[in-house]
Formats: sequence, structure tokens, C-alpha cells
Amino acid sequence: MEGSQDSKWVRIRVFFLIFVLHSLSIYLFTRGFLLTRTELSDSFSSCSDIPDPPCTVHQRRFDGSDDSSGVGVGCWTPPVFDRIVIIVLDALRFDFVAPSAFFEEVKPWMDKLTVLQRLALEESSSAKIFKAIADPPTTSLLRLKGLTTGGLPTFIDVGNSFGAPAITEDNLIHQLVSNGKRVLMMGDDTWLQVFPHHFQESYPFPSFNVKDLHVVDDGVMKHLIPSLYKDDWDVLIAHFLGVDHAGHIFGVDSTPMIEKLEQYNNVLEKVVEALKNQSGPRQPHENTLLFVMGDHGQTLNGDHGGGTAEEVETSLFAMSFGSPPDSVPPNLDSRTCKFGPDGEKMCFSSMQQLDFAATISALLGIPSPFGSIGRVNPELYALSAKTWNIQNCDAANCKACSNLEAWMTNYMNVLCINCWQVKRYIDLYSATSVIGFSKEDMLHLADVYGQIHSSRSNAINAMSLDEDGVPEEIHNNSVYVLQQKIDASSNFLAYIAEIARLKWTEFDLKLMGAGLCMFFVSLLVHFLFIIRVVRLCKFSCTSIWNFRWSCMASFLLVATRASSFLSNSYILEEGKVASFLLATTGILSFRGSVINGKFTIETLLLLLFNIILGCSMDDRFSKQAIGSAYMSAFNISISGINISHFIWTVFSEISPLLFLSMSALLLYRCTSGMSHWGGYRSLFVNGTIVSYVLIGVHWILESNSMNFPEGLHYFGRIFIPLVIYASGCGLLLMLVITQIFVKKGVADQAEGVVIDTVAMLSACSPIILVLSGRQGPFVALISILGVWCIIRLSNVAPKDSTGVHGVDPVSVTQWSLLAACLFFYTGHRCSFDGLRFGAAFIGFDEFNLIRQGTLLFIETFGFSHIIPILSLPFLVTLPRQVSCKTDTKGGFFLKLAQVFLTYGFITAITTAFTMVCVTIQRRHLMVWGLFAPKFLFDVVGLILIDVLICLASLFYM
Amino acid sequence: MGETDISVWKASATHIICGLGLFVAFRIARDVHGSNLVSDTVQTLRLLLVVEAPLIIGIYGFFRRDPQHCSWMNCMGFGVSGALVNAFGAVVLGAPIRIQYLTRTLYWSLLMSLFTILFCGSCISTCFAMWLIVFFVERPRGVLEYMICLPAHGAVIGAWFGAWPMPLDWERPWQEWPICVTYGAVVGYSLGMLASLVCTFVQNRRQHVKGD
Repeated sequence: MEGSQDSKWVRIRVFFLIFVLHSLSIYLFTRGFLLTRTELSDSFSSCSDIPDPPCTVHQRRFDGSDDSSGVGVGCWTPPVFDRIVIIVLDALRFDFVAPSAFFEEVKPWMDKLTVLQRLALEESSSAKIFKAIADPPTTSLLRLKGLTTGGLPTFIDVGNSFGAPAITEDNLIHQLVSNGKRVLMMGDDTWLQVFPHHFQESYPFPSFNVKDLHVVDDGVMKHLIPSLYKDDWDVLIAHFLGVDHAGHIFGVDSTPMIEKLEQYNNVLEKVVEALKNQSGPRQPHENTLLFVMGDHGQTLNGDHGGGTAEEVETSLFAMSFGSPPDSVPPNLDSRTCKFGPDGEKMCFSSMQQLDFAATISALLGIPSPFGSIGRVNPELYALSAKTWNIQNCDAANCKACSNLEAWMTNYMNVLCINCWQVKRYIDLYSATSVIGFSKEDMLHLADVYGQIHSSRSNAINAMSLDEDGVPEEIHNNSVYVLQQKIDASSNFLAYIAEIARLKWTEFDLKLMGAGLCMFFVSLLVHFLFIIRVVRLCKFSCTSIWNFRWSCMASFLLVATRASSFLSNSYILEEGKVASFLLATTGILSFRGSVINGKFTIETLLLLLFNIILGCSMDDRFSKQAIGSAYMSAFNISISGINISHFIWTVFSEISPLLFLSMSALLLYRCTSGMSHWGGYRSLFVNGTIVSYVLIGVHWILESNSMNFPEGLHYFGRIFIPLVIYASGCGLLLMLVITQIFVKKGVADQAEGVVIDTVAMLSACSPIILVLSGRQGPFVALISILGVWCIIRLSNVAPKDSTGVHGVDPVSVTQWSLLAACLFFYTGHRCSFDGLRFGAAFIGFDEFNLIRQGTLLFIETFGFSHIIPILSLPFLVTLPRQVSCKTDTKGGFFLKLAQVFLTYGFITAITTAFTMVCVTIQRRHLMVWGLFAPKFLFDVVGLILIDVLICLASLFYM
Repeated sequence: MGETDISVWKASATHIICGLGLFVAFRIARDVHGSNLVSDTVQTLRLLLVVEAPLIIGIYGFFRRDPQHCSWMNCMGFGVSGALVNAFGAVVLGAPIRIQYLTRTLYWSLLMSLFTILFCGSCISTCFAMWLIVFFVERPRGVLEYMICLPAHGAVIGAWFGAWPMPLDWERPWQEWPICVTYGAVVGYSLGMLASLVCTFVQNRRQHVKGD
């Protein structure tokens, strides 16, 4: 007994070793590559937060003056604008707005938004063009998140928003709403997904159809101008999508793009006119700020998502209505100027998009979002004439206070609160998040923060001296000290932004390299084990056959597939590539079978199987399918084709049931032929068939075409899936228990494993079937067909079968290709919007992260990872052709080990290539849209396969 | 079979004529019709067929062993079934089967059939046996088998590789089915002819050496 336990452990410890190696290397690599950030969803800024002592003094002073004058109710800072209009033009490149004089070549799409350029030229003190630098990933959703939270959203924000993209962190919109500002939203409906309950009024328009250039824009235009004449809002957000869509479809250098820009120019002209007309004293827009901004840029092909200059450089135009302000002190000015052809001086400034949330908060006098790490931009802050008021100088000393000094004092106060808020966030983040900032960083941070305070007290001393009526030099000195203080705060904020970027947007190449190296070591180890097993295999059962050729062929196949991951197009078409390679093996084995003169029907069936796969994958993979919504549009058009809708619905209702009963029948027929089932055959097979019947009932009751009473409907929708889950888990549990405690009286080891495999599959299948929905039974039948063909073909493959030997690696390769095909055939894609979130809610109404996550996980990987691994023993047991007389127990397990090792090795090679590809392409524009999700899916798949192989080896061996 | 009843000279002449036929067909398409495979796929494919089919059938017809047994009708029948086999293979590998591609697929598969199977219909008595030889012998022997086997394999392998650029997102018109596959097949066919010539020469020299 002891000995057998020992030998079992010797047999299977390889798998655990490989699992550990893979996990370690993937952990290292992922730490370097996938930047994660923890969302602090419970922390919100509020008015009652009291800043650190040095700032409070001034805040109280502000409050006092506000209360007495009765203008606006500021919270942390005094409000300087009453209303803000934010017009977001999606994917607004910097060169759409900036005058063409700044660029080497004049391109057709430049100088189209002439109204903005004219305003920036003619009213340069109140209207400014900024080059706003966004942080990658430059996808719209993440940029919206970045703009409103003032943080650096990463590819994976650890938080509890699952499926729904709603922002749970503190954000600008939340602050606006909770401080009594009325927000009006129009345009892109992403805003409503992100902020479902925040807007007082909204006119959302669907953003999913990339081919549609006008619906969103026309809708916004219809509502925008009339809204400008109303005063039932404080902040207006209008999000136009046309430029983004035109870029995606036609590219930047195209007529539709230029038409769009000209259209926007007209709209903006009207907007500016409307605002100007009402900007007189006591008119609604007396104190209004207009923003025209992009959320990110785009390349000339219209792509965005990565971190190239074209994508991150977007523009921001800001204009204040009302009395024009002075200009900022030169050392806070970031302007770059150039003289145009007519000698006019054209300028643009630069800012970070990161600063947007903090700046808006300061301008409106609301607390900045808790997680904001931006700095209040001095040039934007200076746009309001109010910030130049001398209100916080004592009236008696007004003469002594220059305008500039007053502004700097104001700005210093704002920055002080700004610094305090950022420091508070960083401290809390480090204390609570999974991976905080390093100790050295925090120490240095405290040091820099301390410097602000020392310079601050200097400044205050200087001020008080000044107020006591000291001579002019000291007054100048006070400006100097103020400047120093502002510099210190800016330094602090810049340092924070730097370490935050390092943490959230920079890859750690050392860790990535270490992970990759380790992964290659694990591949080597894997390979050595395979060679050893194959040697042992040959030893125990002498055979001479063209194993080498077979190895070569499968190596070529795997290498082709793996290297296809180096190109984004092949990743998009991965399903087709897999099916192409599978078909190639099919054709080759067809040729082989004819040469051998042993033509069998399986070869043809495998080809037919490929046609079925190819047909349905054909349309699922068009380039536009990256957007999930496109898929739904496509589905609608499919169902629209059918002339008689009724027949179609009946067919779509009936056919799953038909296929389901067929698979139940198949299971019954297969198992009835097996002997040695012992006691538990009836239990497993009958249990599974009952589950199948329940699935059928569930689908019938759930369908909308028939009207069942509410109770019955509920019963079918919620209760039956729960029963199926429970019975599936129960069967699995029983299987494990019997495996451990009951010694089966089966003489033949192979027969025993077949029984185990069938029992295991039948226990798993109902769960996977019910989760995969109505396509499930058909996919199951299809995969049974494919698997059967592969098994039968591996039977034929060796030419001179004088004995039994290791399993043909080509068969294992085919098996893994089949699994890859099934992943795509079941409608999955390597992207997060390709997940079928509906499956997570089969049998449940409420959301629970772990429960629903597990269901979604099983649904995603069920057909492509779980079932193929669990059924791998068939490849060893079923083709029991010319049985070798010396097929000992040890030989059988060696073969099983060989199959598992080979399968794991194939997956590991493809994953290794994905990792290499992600490393090479880490600056590629589609890295966050395509490569990173692919990497995640592959890595998760590999770990899952490793775990499953370990479990399977425990169970079967 | 396998006897060197075909001289090196004849073999090279055949290949050169076939190659010239392809070249001329492309030139006619370009100069006379002002079209090419990319702009006018169906027309060009048809032209290739019209020019190449008589050449191949005619020339290989010279090598027929058993003219009575293998009639022209028989040959045509094989051509059509070969086209079906090729089309089936393409669909298995993932060619689109939508209705708008039907004519293209038809012409493409006829061309492939010409490259791969029609010869045997036109030159061997027991057609099916030869067809098997073309694709299912492991090593071709003799000049005639080189002449048939290598270009046919070349065409199929070339077409297989020709499908590789199709998924790339370059958005070039030639990435459409079956344009790049046809280019691949033509290139593969030409390389196959070249290989067949080389093999013929090598075998010829070896036999001379043996004879000496």
C-alpha cells in the first residue's frame, strides 16, 4: 500500500513541478507587465474634510469672505466659475485644433476648427489652446475614467465592478452631484454606463455602431444649442463621437473626417455665439467656462489604445466668458508660440489630462475626487478674472497687493489643498492596497511634502511682514517667496505623478525578463520530461515507427500556430488559423490513409467537421467585431433574414432540445456497451440523463415565445439550474470519493480509466451544457464527432504497428487545435467584451463576485479547456488496436503521462509565444485592446490546464 | 511506367510552353483587357483557364499511353471532378462559401484542377490510378511522373501558403479570396515545373553515368 502510494506520487509529481514553474514565471511576468491598481471605492472626498493646519487658515478666510459676499458656496476652495460647458470630441487629435503653422507639413485635416484658432488668437487672455497629454491606455472608457477620477486607470483596476463598467471610485461627477451641481449630459451613452444614476438630465445616444457617423452627433446638436439658453444646469457635458467613428472606418485622411470637422466647426461657432450673447452682467453665462476637448488622439488609421504620441496627444480648448483676466506669471506659463504667415503670434500651452479633474474641482469650488493625483493647472486657473480679485488681501493694504500677488496667493492656497488631498490619497493607497508604493518612495514623498510646509511658513512670514508696511524690496521678495512655495508644491505633485506613472503605466522590464526566462526554463524541463517518458515508453514496449516524423510534423504545426501570435491580425483570426491547421492535418491524414490503402470514413468526417467549424466562424471574425455591440447588431441581421419568423423561432427552440436528446441517447448507448461498470453506472448515467432532461425543461420554461405562468417561469429559470449545479457537484464529489475509497474490481487498467473518464465527463457535462446555453448540445455533438475522428485516426497513423508505443504527438496536437477551435466556435473571443456575461446569471438573480465569476469562468473555458483535458485519456485507451501483449500497467500510465505532458507542452509553447509577443509589442497601439487580453486569456488557460492536468493525473493514474 | 520514354528535351519544352502560356495569359489580361487578377478576378481567371487548358491538355495529350481508353470526354469528367475536390479542399481550409464568391471559387477550382488533375486525365490510360500517383505516391519515379507530380504538388502547396496573408489587416484588395491563393498556386506551379526540370536533368545525367 505504502509502495503504491509512493509510486503514484513519483508518477504525477512531474505535473506539479511544471505547474509550480509555470505559475511562478507567469506571476513574475505579470507583475512586470500587467499594471494593476486597487480602487479605493469606499473613500470619498467631502466638504467636511479638514485639510492640514497650514491650509485651513486660508480656507476659513475664504469661507468667511464668501459668506459675506454671498457669491457661490465654495467648499475647499472658493468657486471661480458658476457654470461649465464641456464639449468632448472623441479622438480629437492635437493637429485638428492647433494651427498648422506648428507642424512641418500642412495636411488636409488641419485648420478645420477655425473658430477655436481665431478665438485663441484674438482673445488670447481668455481663450487658450492646450496640448493635453493623455496617459495610455487610450481607450475611451478608460480615458473617461481617468478624466473624471483624476487618476491613472490601468488595464486591470482591481475593484468590484464586474461586467458593468460603472465607476465605483470617487469621481468628478459624483462630487458635482453631491455638491448640488446639476449635470446635463448628452451624446455617447458610455457616460450613462459609467455614471448610471448621476445625471439630472441626459440625452444618451448609442455608441456601439462604429459605422454610424451621424446619429450621436445629430442628437447632440439637436439638444446642445437650446440647452445653452436654459439655466437648469450647472455643468453641461456634450460628447460627440463622429470623429472617432470616421477615423475607425475611413482613417484620418478622408473626406468624411474633414466633413465631420467642418460640421463641428459650425456647431462650435454657434455654441460660442450663444455663450457670448449671454455673457453680459447678470446674464446666465456671465461666469461660464467652455471646454472643447478630446479624450484621446488617434493614429492616421484611426486606431487608438496605445501610447504613441499621436494617440496620447489630444487637444483642449478653454475659454472663459466674462471680463478677461490677466496673464499668468511667466514661470507658470507653458506656452509655445510661433508667428503665423501674417505675422500673428499663435500660441498653445501644454497640460496633462491627469490634471483635469483637480482643475475643474478647483474652478467650481468642490472637493477634488479622492483618488485624484493631478495638479490644478495654473493657466486654466488663471482664466477666470475672479482669481485675480484682491478679495483676500485686507482692504487696508490693498494698494500694497498687486494683482499678480493676489492671484499667486489664491493659487498657492488652491495648490496647498491640492497637495494635501493627493498626499492623503497616496497614504491611504499605500496603507490599504494589495501592492502599495515602496518604502523609499513614501519616505521621499514625506520629505518633499515637508519642504512645502517649510516654504509655506516662510511665505506667510513674508506676507505678514509685508502687511506691516515694509519697503518695496520685501514686497518683491514676498512674490519671490510665493513663487518658491508654488514651485515646491508643483514639485511635490510632479513627483507624485511621476511615481504614480511608474507604478501604473510603466512596465517593469526586469520582472518581465525574469518571468520569460523562467518560463523558457520550464519549457526545457517539460521537454526533457517528455523525452524521458517517450524513451521509457519505447523501452517498456519496443516499437519501431516514424515517431520522429510525427514529432516533426506536430512541432511544425505548433510552431506555426504559436508564431502567428506575433501579429495582431492573426490573433484576431486565431480561430480560423486553428481551424486551417486542423484542416491541414485532416487533409494530410486523408492522403496518408489513401497511401496506406486503409481509407476510412473518419478522415472524410474530420474534413466535414472542419467545414462546420469554418462556416460558423466565418462571419464571427470580421475586423469590426472587436466591439461587442457589433456582434449583437450582426445577430439581429441574421434573424432578420428569415422570411418566416415563426418557423425560425420554432426551429431555434426545438433544435437545441433535439441535439440534447441526441447527446443523451449517445451517452446511454455508449455506456450500455461497457462492461465492468459495477454498481455506479446506473447512478452516473441516469443522473446525467435526468440532468439533461432538466436542462431541456429549463430551456422550454425560460423561453419567451410561450407564456407560462410567472411561478412556473421562475421555477424553470432559477430553480432548475440550481438543481443541475447541485447534482453535478454531487456526482463529482461521489466520483472522487469512490475513486479514493472503493477499489474497483477491474482487471484491465485501461478499461477502468475509460469508465472513470466517462463518469467524469458525464458528471461535468450538465453544468457546462446549461451554462453554454442553447448552442451547447450542438457544440457537444460536434466535438464528440471531432474527438472520435481524431481517436480513430491516431489508430491508423502508425504504419507498421508491430507493437504499442507512445501516443502519436500529431493526435495530441490535433486535440489541442480542436480545443482552440471550440473556444472560438462557442462564440468566445480573447477579449473581455467577448465574455458571455449572461451565462453568469443562469440560475441566479443577484450578483456575487465569487459565485458569478466561477460560473463565467466555467462557461468560458468549459468546452475548450475543461472537457478536452478531462477526456484526454480516451486518446490512450480507445485506440486499442493491435494490443501489445506486454502492455503492462506501467506502460499504460507512461502513455497517459506522455499524452498529458505533450498537451501541456503544446499549450505552454503557444503561451510562451504570446508572452514574447506581448513583450515585443508592449508599445504597440493595440497592446491594451488586443495583446493584453489575449495574454490574459492564454495565461489563465495555461494555469487552468496545468491545474486540470494535475487533478486528472491524481484522478486517473 | 518510369521508363525514360520522354527525353529531357521534350520535358523541358513542355514546361517552357506551359510556363509561357501562363505568362502570355497574364500579359493578355493586362495589355488587351487592361485587367489583372486584383481588379477583375473572374475575368482573369477565365482567361488563364482559356489559354492554359488547351496547352496543357494538348501537350500532355502527346504522352498519352492509351488513347482509345481515355477519351477527351473522360478527361473533361476528371477535370470537373478535380475541380470539385479542389473546391472541397478549399472550403475545408476555410474558404468563404457565401454566394457572392461562388463564381470565383468555381473558376479558381477549375484552374487548380487544371494544374493538378487534368494532366492525368489527358495522358494516362487508367486515369484514376494516375491520379492516385500524382498525389499519393511517396516518391515519383521517371520523367513523366516528375512532370506531373511536382508541378501539381507545387500548385497545391503554393495555394496553401498563398492563403497565409489573407487574415492580415493590410486591407489590400489582393487579400480577397481567391486572389492571393491563385498567385500562390501559380508561383508554386512554376516552382514545381522548375523542380521537375532539375530532377529530369539530374536523372538524365545519372543514367548517362550509369550507361558509361
